[in-house]
Amino acid sequence: MAESITWDLALDIARRDLLDLWRARMLLFFFILFPILLMSMFGYMYPSVPKSNPNTGTIGTAFPNLPISLVKMDDGQTANLIAAQFIQISGQQGLFTVSETASYQAAHNQLVLGNIRGIVIIPQGFSDALVAGQPATVQVTVDETNPTTASVVQSEISAVFNIIGSSISAQNINKMDGGRVNPAFIMQPISVTRIPLITGVSSSFQFLAPGFMALTVVTGSLQGVATAISREKEQGTMDGLLVAPIPHRSIILGKVAAQTVRGLIQGSLILGLSMVFFGVQIYGSPIIMLIVLVLGTASFVGVGIIMTAIAPDQETAQMMTMILQFPMMFISGILFPIDQLPGWMQYIGKAMPLYYAADALRKVIILNASLATIMPEVIILVVYSFLTMTLAIPLFERAMRR
Amino acid sequence: MGTLSLTVQESGTVSSLSDQAIETHGLTKRFKNFTAVDHLDLSVRRGEIYGFLGPNGAGKTTAIRMLCTLLSPSSGTASVDGYDIVKQGNDVRKRIGLVSEKMIMYPRLTALENLMFFGRLYGIERKALRKKSEELLEMVKLTTFKDKLVGGFSSGMKQRVNVIRAIIHDPDVLFLDEPTTALDPQSTRFVRDLVKELRQRGHTIVLTTHVMEEADELSDRVCIIDHGKIMAVGSPQALKDRYNTQNLLDVFLELTGRELRDSADGRISMRTPMGRM
Repeated sequence: MAESITWDLALDIARRDLLDLWRARMLLFFFILFPILLMSMFGYMYPSVPKSNPNTGTIGTAFPNLPISLVKMDDGQTANLIAAQFIQISGQQGLFTVSETASYQAAHNQLVLGNIRGIVIIPQGFSDALVAGQPATVQVTVDETNPTTASVVQSEISAVFNIIGSSISAQNINKMDGGRVNPAFIMQPISVTRIPLITGVSSSFQFLAPGFMALTVVTGSLQGVATAISREKEQGTMDGLLVAPIPHRSIILGKVAAQTVRGLIQGSLILGLSMVFFGVQIYGSPIIMLIVLVLGTASFVGVGIIMTAIAPDQETAQMMTMILQFPMMFISGILFPIDQLPGWMQYIGKAMPLYYAADALRKVIILNASLATIMPEVIILVVYSFLTMTLAIPLFERAMRR
Repeated sequence: MGTLSLTVQESGTVSSLSDQAIETHGLTKRFKNFTAVDHLDLSVRRGEIYGFLGPNGAGKTTAIRMLCTLLSPSSGTASVDGYDIVKQGNDVRKRIGLVSEKMIMYPRLTALENLMFFGRLYGIERKALRKKSEELLEMVKLTTFKDKLVGGFSSGMKQRVNVIRAIIHDPDVLFLDEPTTALDPQSTRFVRDLVKELRQRGHTIVLTTHVMEEADELSDRVCIIDHGKIMAVGSPQALKDRYNTQNLLDVFLELTGRELRDSADGRISMRTPMGRM
């Protein structure tokens, strides 16, 4: 059939679909609530981390004021002094709420009960060792039932003792040579300072927000198109469109356009919220962002149309998109970096267009990437769009005339 | 542009040969192992009301859907207004209007918006479309409700909107698939009168109904089909005379039997995987 797309028809169809959403007030409410809920949930799950600064001795934490116990088995003057310093620094920087416990056994019980997250033990002979000019050891036990907090507690305790240790060393060096050399030169002749890739607050949310945005826009339109088409098929209005002298491509295009606009509204809400509440910053061009999002949608919406062509009713179509959508969320590098997955799963993840959309969007938002920089992703998305659409349109035509 | 000149030629030949609005030859639709429409040869004259009758599952809706280009025939040919339903689908679609069992309208649009939306699909220019829509709303006495969402309308009101929606583009042929089912007596009366009015305006109408009295009142000719095949065609009076009875229902039962037609399982499973009919 030599039918070409009639754009103004597609526009009429898209406008009607959006008007439908606007008039369905309850649906609209949940439509807006969804990204807000999603964002606040993940926003607080992955809080912003204040940047650590070795010069000022600032450590920075994602988990403020974790409860830990301090068990002091040495009653020497130095041990007391260092214990006091530990408590003071932990409190000042908001890292730990430290309670002193009489015995390791008592502290251990508290840890098993889940009342505290770690134990710091200052063993017997600690003061003597230091006074004699020997290195001394502090022991740490952490709540290993939660690997994330365990590693955080461990590293933060080490960081606090590093600060204390450095000041002791500095004093010692000063004592030995009467201030003729810089103690830092002896303790740490070479130091490493990180030049941040991005300025401002570093947050895992900065990684998550672009991914969520891509996820919402792409899967929203995938599911939206499948639902919209199968709903019209069920309620009978699709017959009204099919019996009119219009190309099927206009119907598809109109539906896709409406769903893309819906997706972009939700995507903007996500981005806006993460900027206002969770300190996410945009460094790249909004126009390139839009291009990536629209391409991401185009790359996948064909799959939604293929599903409606196959599915007998709205419910089945929804289920089918859900099956595709849910695993995609986990293996396309949205929630965590794709490198965390086993090799074979990485291949599957990298076969998903969502991976490229999210990756490109992240580069644009965080790294201010230009269109040329993300060209490989853009090309992959264009190829996907072309392939899925070439398959989807004839399938749709066949399904509608069966 | 080769196809275009062919179109003109073909339509010219057909319409000069006969004044048939619809013609089918051996039109057949098979779903897997079920034959819904079986070598149907119909001819509907221009300007008539053609009562298309048959028990449930006789193949009425399937035949209409094929004539509306919503379903591809398995074999046979059919033309509407001289245009082939398969090869010239778009020309057919320009010239037909459909009122199907399911109402074709969006509940969250107003009556006027529904008419405007569907009118736009036929390329009618906005201003003319608005005027036409308001005229039609006036005709079915819905002017005061034109800006209300049709979702809140009674079924009678919805069906009035549904019928004028189908004629917004002045189609030559109008398919009315059970237009009075589930309407109250007042609305039924109104829709029947509307159908007569539409014939006056020159539309050819194919009407399906289970109400024989309605078919008798409205139709110029009726066609009774069963198991996808034609059982009888003629004016209601001619058929009644032939079977020596006073009402069309007796004719109908004589031709199609008295056994109940509880839709066969085969047909239901036929429907669901495609989600249609």
